[in-house]
Amino acid sequence: MKISIDIHVNGEQYPAEVEPRTTLLEFLRGTLHLTGTKEGCGLGDCGTCIVLLDGKPVNSCLVLAVDANGRRVTTIEGLAEDGKLHPVQQSFIDNGAVQCGFCTPAMILTTKALLDKNPDPAEGEIKQALGGILCRCGSYQKILNSVQAVGKGERK
Amino acid sequence: MMSQKGSAGYVGKRVLRVDAPAKVTGNAVYGIDIELPGMLHGATLRSPYPHADIVEIDTSAALKAPGVRAVVTGKDFPCYFGDMVRDQPFLAVDRVRFVGDPVAAVAAETEAQALEALEKIRVKYRELPAVFDPREAMAEGAPLIHPDFEKYTRNIPASMVPHTNICVSRKFSLGDVEKGFAEADEIFEDSFSAQALSHVTMEPHTAIAQFTPLDGHYTVWSPSDRPQRLHKELADALGLAHTRIRFIVPYVGGSYGGKNTLRAEAIAVALARFTHGRPVKVVFSRAEALTATQTRLAAFMKLTTGVRKDGTFTARRAEIVWDNGAYISNAPGVANRGVLTILGPYRIPNLDLVSRLVYTNKETTGSYRGFGTTQVTWACEVQMDIIAAKLGIDPLTIRLKNAYVEGDAYINGQIMRDVRVKETIEKAGREIKLEKDSTSPSPTRRRGKGIATMLKSTATPTDSFCAIKVDMDGGVTVFSSSSEIGAGEQTMMAQIAADAVGVPLSAVSVPNPDTAITPYDHGVSSSRTTYHMGNCVQQAGRDVRKRLLGIAAEVLATDPERLSLFEGNIIETGVGQRMTLKELLSKKFNNKSGAIFGEGHFTPAGNPVLEAREGLKGISSIFWMFATHAAEVEVDTETGVVKVLNVAAAHDIGRAINPVGCEQQIEGSVILGISNTLFEEFKMENGRILNDSLSDYKLATMEDLPKIVSIFVEAEPDREALAVVKGIGEPAAAATAPAIANAIYNAVGVRIKDLPITPDKVLAALREKDNQKGR
Amino acid sequence: MIRLKAFSYFEPASLKEASEILTQHKGEAYPLAGGTDLLVRMKREAIRPAALVNLKRIRELNGIQSEKDGGMRIGALTTIADIENSTVVHTSHPVLAQAAGVLGAQPLRNLATIGGNIGRASPASDMAPSLMVLQARVATEGASGPGEREIDKVFAGPGSTTLSDGEIMTAFYFPAMAPATGAAYLKMGRRSGGGDCALVGVAALLTLGSGEARAVRIAMSSVGPTPRRANKAEAVILSGTITEERMRDAARVAAEEAAPITDMRCSASYRKEIIKVLTFRALQEANQKAQGGQAT
Repeated sequence: MKISIDIHVNGEQYPAEVEPRTTLLEFLRGTLHLTGTKEGCGLGDCGTCIVLLDGKPVNSCLVLAVDANGRRVTTIEGLAEDGKLHPVQQSFIDNGAVQCGFCTPAMILTTKALLDKNPDPAEGEIKQALGGILCRCGSYQKILNSVQAVGKGERK
Repeated sequence: MMSQKGSAGYVGKRVLRVDAPAKVTGNAVYGIDIELPGMLHGATLRSPYPHADIVEIDTSAALKAPGVRAVVTGKDFPCYFGDMVRDQPFLAVDRVRFVGDPVAAVAAETEAQALEALEKIRVKYRELPAVFDPREAMAEGAPLIHPDFEKYTRNIPASMVPHTNICVSRKFSLGDVEKGFAEADEIFEDSFSAQALSHVTMEPHTAIAQFTPLDGHYTVWSPSDRPQRLHKELADALGLAHTRIRFIVPYVGGSYGGKNTLRAEAIAVALARFTHGRPVKVVFSRAEALTATQTRLAAFMKLTTGVRKDGTFTARRAEIVWDNGAYISNAPGVANRGVLTILGPYRIPNLDLVSRLVYTNKETTGSYRGFGTTQVTWACEVQMDIIAAKLGIDPLTIRLKNAYVEGDAYINGQIMRDVRVKETIEKAGREIKLEKDSTSPSPTRRRGKGIATMLKSTATPTDSFCAIKVDMDGGVTVFSSSSEIGAGEQTMMAQIAADAVGVPLSAVSVPNPDTAITPYDHGVSSSRTTYHMGNCVQQAGRDVRKRLLGIAAEVLATDPERLSLFEGNIIETGVGQRMTLKELLSKKFNNKSGAIFGEGHFTPAGNPVLEAREGLKGISSIFWMFATHAAEVEVDTETGVVKVLNVAAAHDIGRAINPVGCEQQIEGSVILGISNTLFEEFKMENGRILNDSLSDYKLATMEDLPKIVSIFVEAEPDREALAVVKGIGEPAAAATAPAIANAIYNAVGVRIKDLPITPDKVLAALREKDNQKGR
Repeated sequence: MIRLKAFSYFEPASLKEASEILTQHKGEAYPLAGGTDLLVRMKREAIRPAALVNLKRIRELNGIQSEKDGGMRIGALTTIADIENSTVVHTSHPVLAQAAGVLGAQPLRNLATIGGNIGRASPASDMAPSLMVLQARVATEGASGPGEREIDKVFAGPGSTTLSDGEIMTAFYFPAMAPATGAAYLKMGRRSGGGDCALVGVAALLTLGSGEARAVRIAMSSVGPTPRRANKAEAVILSGTITEERMRDAARVAAEEAAPITDMRCSASYRKEIIKVLTFRALQEANQKAQGGQAT
C-alpha cells in the first residue's frame, strides 16, 4: 500500500508515493537524497536526525512521512540562502564547534529554531534546547560558545 | 628552522577547520551517506547465545524471500581475521562465542527486505557453558572459549597460558619489590575496577563492499581510522595481494578507537563475494554498534604500593586482569600499554607488574581513546589520593615530589626528554585553586576538589608516508592515509603543508584517504598523527618546494639558493617578487597541464632517544604525554548524585599546531571522561547486554557540561614546532575520572574504587561512612 | 539500521471514524498520536501492529482552553511542548508545565502528546503524577459513545489501561486549583537534564489553611506497575500542622507504601531512597508555592 504525499522541503514541494512505514528521515535521506540529516540510532535517542517541522525541531526518525504530508520541513541543506551561510552555520565554523560533524546539522537546526524564538537565550536554555543531541566528540562547550556568539551578533 | 623563509606561519595559529564548511552545510559525505548504482543492503543474523555450537543453519526460506539476492554463512565464507591473532571468523563457523556473534547475513534490494529475510533463517544451536567474568574465566575448569588457540596465526609473541582462557600473560619487573616494600613506612593495598565502555560513535559502524568477480577485486568504502591497517588485515584474512583490495574512506562520524578493525566491513565483504558484482551496504543498528563491535577492556586492578612517611615511593606491585571478550582485536596492545603505565608519571624504583588478558563470552574489546591508560590511571591516581590522605600530605605536593623530571629514566631505561609533568600539576592545581576549600551551598550539597595526573606513550616506532602534488594553478593536494575522524587531521596537515610549501592555507586541499592512492600510514591512533604525519607532510612539502624552486631557478635563470616561495609567490633575495607559482607552472607546462610531486616518509625508528635497556626498546616512546586534570564537584548527599562544576585540564602538548584543535580535543575528552565516570556501563544478564540503546546506555549531554579550562604546557618557543609537538587525542581522556573521584572524597569523604561512580554507590558509601561513625 | 515493519495506515477525519477502525481491528490497530513511544516500540519489535490510526488530523483533539469555573481542558493530541509553553497552563495549573518541561528532550516534546503519554500507561509516565494530584478527568469516545473517568481509574497495569478497544481519550479536564494551593513535580533521571526516563517521579499538591493542610495529594511514578497515589503519606500530612518533620515522615511513609522494582536502570532499594527524597522535596516546594498565596 502506497500513499500519496506532498511535503514542502526547503522551499520546494515534493509530491511522492510512500509506504506508510517510511519515516520522514528515510524519505529525506533515501528518496530526496538529502543526506545532511543523519541517522544515529533510529529511536529518538541521539538527536542527529533532527529537522525542523513547521519550524520546530523534531526527531525525523520518529515521524512517519505520511504524517508530514502538507507540512513544511527544513533540513540543513535548506539553511544557507543564495550560497550565503546562515549566521548559525558561520558561527559554528568561527567558534570551532565542528569536530567529526555528525551531530552538527542537528545542532545547527535546533539552534536556529531556538534563536528564532528567543534571540538571546540564557545559558541554561541553550543547554536544555541542545540537550537532546549527543556529540561524542564533546564539542558542547564550543557549541555553546557558538550559540551565544550568534545571540550577541543579533542583539547589536 | 621554523622561521625558515617561505613559512607564512599557519602552524601555531588559531585557524578555522578546513572540513567545517562541508560539515555545517550537510555536504560532507559520511559512510552512511554513500549510495552506489545497483547497491544492495545487508543485514546480519546474530547469536542469541553467549556460547553454543551451531548444529545446523537452514537458509532456504530466506533465499526465497522477496528482494533477497544472497545469504551467506560461515560455511560459505570460512575466513578469519585479526590484526594480532587471527581468531575471529567473518561469520561464525561451527561455534558462537558471545551474544551478538554474527551467524549469517542477507543481501537484499532494500534494507527492510534484508531484515525481514533474517527472520526466515533457522539456526539450531547446542548451548555450551559460558563465562563472563575474566577472573572466573582464568580458573581451572572454566569453559574453554578457544580450544584451538594455538593453531591460530599470530602477529604477537606467544604468551598464552596453555589450556586456559588466558590469551596473553605478561610480567615486568624493575629492581627488587620485596626490598622496596621492606624500606617502606606504609604499604597500601587497594583493588580497583574500570568498566567496559562503548565508543558510541554517532555514526554507527558502516561499510559498503563490492567484489568484481572477473578480476577478483574488493573495493570497500569504510569510515575507518586506519584504512591501511584494515586493508592489510583484509588482505591477510583472504590471502589476497594488496593490489586486489582498495579501501576508500569517506568522512568518519567519530572513531575514538572504535573503527580500527573489520566490523561492518567483514559482513559487507562476505556478502559482496556472492552478489555478482553488486555492491552491498551494511549499516549497523545502534544496538549492534553497542553490543557487537568492540568495547573498552574492563580491568580489575590490584595495587600494592610502598611509601615512606615523607611521601617517597619505594615499590609497587600491580596485578591486572583484563577482560578480552570473545575475540582478540588489539586488546593485547592495550593490555601491554596499560600495565606499563600503571606507575603513573612517577619515579617508583621497584616494580612488579603482572598483566593477564582473558577470553570471556562477551563482546570483543580493543582500543578506546586512551589505549589502556584510562583504566590504569584510575587505579594509580585514586590510590595516590588515598596515600596522600593517610600520610597527611596534600595531593599536589605528593605528586610533585614523585613526578618525573627532565632526564629521568622510564622503567626500560629510556631517558625521557621534554618532561613537563610538574608544570601540568602546578597549573591545573592553580587554576582550580586546589589549596582553597570549596564553599558548599548547603549541608546536603557538598562541594570538593580533586586532582589527577597521567602519562602516556605513543606506539613507537611507526611509519607515515605521504605525497604532495602541486598542480599547474598552484593548488596543493596532500595525499595521506590519515583519516579525518573529527580530530582536525585535515586542518593540521593543511597548515603544515601550507607552511612547508609556501602557499596560502586556502590553496591546500587534503582529500579523504583511498588506499589505492594515498600511501601507507600506521593510522590515526595512539595520539601519533600530528607528530608522525605532521613531520611526514612537512618533509613532502619541503621536497616539493625544493623542486619548485629548482624549476623557478631554471625559468628565471638564477641560483635556486636566492629563491623562496611565500604565500604562492616566488621571491628572489634582493629583488622581491618575481612571479606567482601559477605563472611559474604555466610557463613550465606550456599552459597545458601538469603536476609536481613531493614525497615524505617519517619514522622515529633509529632515533637515539629510543635507546633503552637490552630487549626493552620496544616500549620506548618517541614522545611522552603528560596531563593533569583538576575537578570541582558537587555531591547531593541525599541522592548520591554527583555534578561536575569545573575542570581545569593542563596538558604537556609540546606545541599547539592549531590551538582551537587542542581545545576541542581537551574539552571533548573532559566530557567523555565525565560521561565514562558518572553514567556509562553495560548492564548484563547471562551475557546479554540489556541496555542496548542510547536511552539506557547513557552519554553526557550538553546539560552535563561543566566549565572547562584548557591549559597548554608548551616547549620553549624557539624550538621547531614539529620537533616538539606531542599528541593530545588520548591523554585528556584518562585523568578526568580519578580527578572526579578524588573531588568526591574531598567533598564528602567517601572513596569509590569501582567505575562508574553511580548515585547509588555514592549513597551506599555515605551510609556506610555514617554507620561507622555511629559505632 | 532498524526499519519499521509494514502496517496499514488510516487517517480518519472524525473521532467516530477513528473509533470504528480501531474497533474493527480488535487490538491489532494502534492509535498514533506523537509516535515518540509507539514507533520506538514498533522499531524494537516490542509490538507489531497490523494498522496505525493517525489521530492528528482530528481537529477537536488539539488545544488548551481555560474553562469558566477556573478549570482547564487540554485536548489529548496536544503536544507536551505546547503544554510546557502555554500561558494558560502556567496561569492555572503550572505543575503540568513543570512536568511537561522534564519529559524527554525538547525535540521529542514537540512530537509527544499528553494523550500518548497517558494512553501508553508507562509506569514511568512523567505526566501521570501531576494529572493525579490535579484530579484530572479523562474524556473518551468509543463505540458506546462518550465517556468520562477519573485519572486514577485509567491505569490497569504496565502498558495497559482500562479503556476498551476503540475507546479513544479525547481530552483531559482539570478542575480549578483552590486558593492557597501549591504543587510540584520532581523527577530523578540518570543525568542532569530532564530528558531521561524517570527513575522516580513524584508530584505533590498542598492546599493550606491556617498552617494546616486542608488538602494534600501525592502521586508517584516508577514505583510500581502503574503510577499511583501515596495515600498513607497523604494521611500523615493531614494528621497535623505542616512541619519539616511531618513532611519527612510523610516521605518515609511514601517510600514504604511504594513497591518499586529493580531493573537495569536502578535497584528497588535505591528507588525507595529517592522516593523519600523527592517526596520531601516536592512537598517542601508545594508548601512554599502554596504560601505564596496563589495557586502556583
